[in-house]
Amino acid sequence: MEVDYAAFRREVTEFARTRCPPEIRAVVATYRKLSRKIWQPWQQILHAHGWGAPSWPKRFGGTGWDPQQRHIFDEVMAENDCPPQYHHGLRHIGPVIIEFGTPEQQARFLPGILSGEDWWCQGYSEPGAGSDLASLRTAARREGDDYIVDGQKTWTSHAHESDWMYTLVRTAKEAKKQQGITMLLIPLDSPGITIRPIRTIDGWHHVNEVFLDKVRVPVANRIGEEGEGWTYGKFLLERERLGGANVAPALKNLERTRELVAQELTGETHRAKRAALELRLLLAEAELRGALALGKEAVAAVMEGRPLGLLPSVLKLSTSVTHQHVAEVAMDAVGERLAPRFRRIDGSGPNAEAPGIEWVQNYMYMRVRTIYGGSSEVQKNVIAKQLFGS
Amino acid sequence: MPFTASPLVGGDAYEMAQRLALEADAELSALSEAGEQAACLRRHWDAIAGLGWMATMVAEDAGGAGGDLSDVAALACGAGRGGLPLPIATACVVTPALLAAASARDMLAQVAEGSARICLILPDAAQDPGAAGLRFDRTLEGGVVGVETPPDPTHLLLATAAGELLLLPVDSSGITQNLSLRIDGRLAADWHCAGVAVAPDQVLARGIADHVARARDLGALLTCIEGVSAMGAIIEQTIAFLSDRVQFNAPLASYQALRHRVAEMYVEYENLRGLVAHALREAAAADALPWRDIAFAKLRLGEAGRLVAHETIQMHGGMGLTEGVAAIRLARRVMMAEFEFGDRSFQASRLLAQAA
Repeated sequence: MEVDYAAFRREVTEFARTRCPPEIRAVVATYRKLSRKIWQPWQQILHAHGWGAPSWPKRFGGTGWDPQQRHIFDEVMAENDCPPQYHHGLRHIGPVIIEFGTPEQQARFLPGILSGEDWWCQGYSEPGAGSDLASLRTAARREGDDYIVDGQKTWTSHAHESDWMYTLVRTAKEAKKQQGITMLLIPLDSPGITIRPIRTIDGWHHVNEVFLDKVRVPVANRIGEEGEGWTYGKFLLERERLGGANVAPALKNLERTRELVAQELTGETHRAKRAALELRLLLAEAELRGALALGKEAVAAVMEGRPLGLLPSVLKLSTSVTHQHVAEVAMDAVGERLAPRFRRIDGSGPNAEAPGIEWVQNYMYMRVRTIYGGSSEVQKNVIAKQLFGS
Repeated sequence: MPFTASPLVGGDAYEMAQRLALEADAELSALSEAGEQAACLRRHWDAIAGLGWMATMVAEDAGGAGGDLSDVAALACGAGRGGLPLPIATACVVTPALLAAASARDMLAQVAEGSARICLILPDAAQDPGAAGLRFDRTLEGGVVGVETPPDPTHLLLATAAGELLLLPVDSSGITQNLSLRIDGRLAADWHCAGVAVAPDQVLARGIADHVARARDLGALLTCIEGVSAMGAIIEQTIAFLSDRVQFNAPLASYQALRHRVAEMYVEYENLRGLVAHALREAAAADALPWRDIAFAKLRLGEAGRLVAHETIQMHGGMGLTEGVAAIRLARRVMMAEFEFGDRSFQASRLLAQAA
C-alpha cells in the first residue's frame, strides 16, 4: 500500500503538538537534563497511542512503519521539542531480543520496554575497554543454572535510574578476543551490584561505574548462544546506523542558539560580536544543510535496499562537530556572564540561580558528541580503510 | 578498491567532457609560455563550440539544442574532473540566459554556433583601488579588472547595476583590453573604456536586474558542480599519491595521521556533494531558482574547497608546490572557484540579510 508521507507528517505533527505535555517540551526546549521522570510518562503516552515502538514489527507491538516514516517521526518530534524516545530499550536491546531472544524472553521483556515500565542501560565499556570494546574483562562463569559475574563496567549511562542492564561479559578466553563474549540481561537490584556516579564536566549526572561482585544471573537471562555476544552487540550497533540521518535536533539547536545570540548581544556595544557569532552560525547551518541532504540520501538508500556505505560515518563525523560548533557559539554568547557562576558554593550542583546556566552545561556536554557512538577517530579509521581499499 | 568519486550527473556527455578536459590539461601542462597556452585554449574553445556545448541551453527555435540544466550539469561534471580552463558556466548558462531574457535571438544563434565569443561583465565586477569603475550614461567610462573571458573575445556583454544589458563589439572605439591567466589557468581580461559610444540598439534590455541575479545564481550552481567534481578527483589522486609514495620504509598511506586527513577531506567533500545535489534537484524541479540552496552550497564550496585544496598541497609535500601535479592544478581551480559568482562574504551577507 502506498504511504501518503505528507499526510503522515501532518498526523505526527498534530500529535506532537497536542499530546506531548508542555512541561515535558519545556525541558527539551531549555536544554534541561532528560531523566526517567521525563521520559517515562512520554513513553506511556506514545504507547497508549500505539506508537510506543516505531522501529519494531507489528507482531511485537511496534508500528510497522517503513524507514521513511520512522525518519519523519523522529524529525517531527525534534522539530516540536518532544524528547527523543529513550533508546536503550526500544532501539538497542529490544531489537536484539526480537531477533535473537527466546519466545519466553520476548514475552518477559518486550512489553515492559514498550510500556515504559522497565528501564534499561548498557553494560559495555570497561576501564580497559573503550573504543577497543572487545578487550572487555568482566567475567562470567557457569554454576548450575546461573552465571556468576565479576568485574566492572564504566560510562554506564542511566544505570542509576535503570532496572536492567544488558551486559557483555567474557565467558571464555579465545585466540580472537571478539570470541568468548556472552550477552547477559542483569537485574540491577541483584545482590553484589554497586552503582557509583561519575562526575562529568557538564554538572549533570548521566554516567556511572557499575561494580559486579559475584552477581548471580540465571542462564535464562542469556541472549542467544554462549560466546556469541559480539555478534548480538554488533547487530545492535548496526541497527543504529541511520541515527545520524536525523539532523532535525541539530537544526533546532541552531535555531535556539540564534535566538540566544539575538537576546544576549543587543545594541551597539555588542554589534561586532553579534555579527561574528551570526556568521559562525550561518556556516554551521550550511554544514547542517549538507548533512540534511545526505540524511535524505541515506533514508532513500534504506528504502530502496541499497547499501549505506560510508554515509553513516560521514554523518556522525560532520554532525557531531557541527553540534559542538553551535554549542561553542552559545558559550561565546553567554560565557562571560555564566561561566564564572557554574557551581553553587554550597556544593549542591550547577547554579540554577544563574539564568541560562544550561547553555554552559550543554557546551560542556557537547564535547561527548565526538566521543560516544564511535569516536571521530574510529569513524576516520573506518572511512580511511574504505577509501584506501585497505 | 580505492575510492572512485561518482559524478553528480553521469552519462555520455559527462564522459565526453571529462575526456576533453583531461586532453586539454595534458596539452596545457606541457606548455610553459602564456601565449602558447592562450592559443591552446582557443583550439579547445573551438572544439567545444563545435561539439555544441554553448548551444545546450539555447532554445531550439533560436538555433540551440533546447536542453535543460542537467545537460549542462553533465558537461560541468566532466569538465570539472579535468579542470578544463574555459568559462563553462558563463558561456553555457549565464550568457545564454541573459541573452534569452533580452530576446536577443540573433546573438543567441551566434553564441550557439560558437562564432560569438562573449565576455560577460556582471554589475559588481572587480576594480583596482582608486580606479573609476565602469559607468554607463550614454557613453561607457571607467574600467573593470579580472573578468573571466573566452579566448579572443568578440563582444562585451555588460549587465549594469541599473538592470540594463549592453552588447558591444570589443573593437568599438575607446575600448582597450589586457589579458591575464588566472590562478586556475583560465583567461581573464581587464577592460578599460574611455568615451565609448553606445548606440540605442546596443542596449539589448532594461529592467532585467532580476534576470541578472538569477543568471548569477545559475552560474554559482554550475561552479559548485565543477568544484565538487574537481574535489572528488583531488581526493582520488591524493589517495593514489599516498599509496605510491614511500617514506621511512613505508607507504605514506600507512600513516594514520595522513589517513585521517584524507577522511576529513572526504567528509567535507561528501557534505558539499549532498548540498549541491540537493540544490541541483531543487533547481531542476522548482519554477523559481532556489537561491538560498545555491547560496548555502556556494558558501560551503568556499569552506570545503579550500580545505581539500590545502590538504592535497600539504600531503603532496614539496610536489604540492609544483604545477606539474594534476591534483595541484585542480586545487588551484577549486581555489579560484571561490571568487566566481559571489564569494563567501557575498553569499553570507545575503543569507544573513534574509534571516534578519
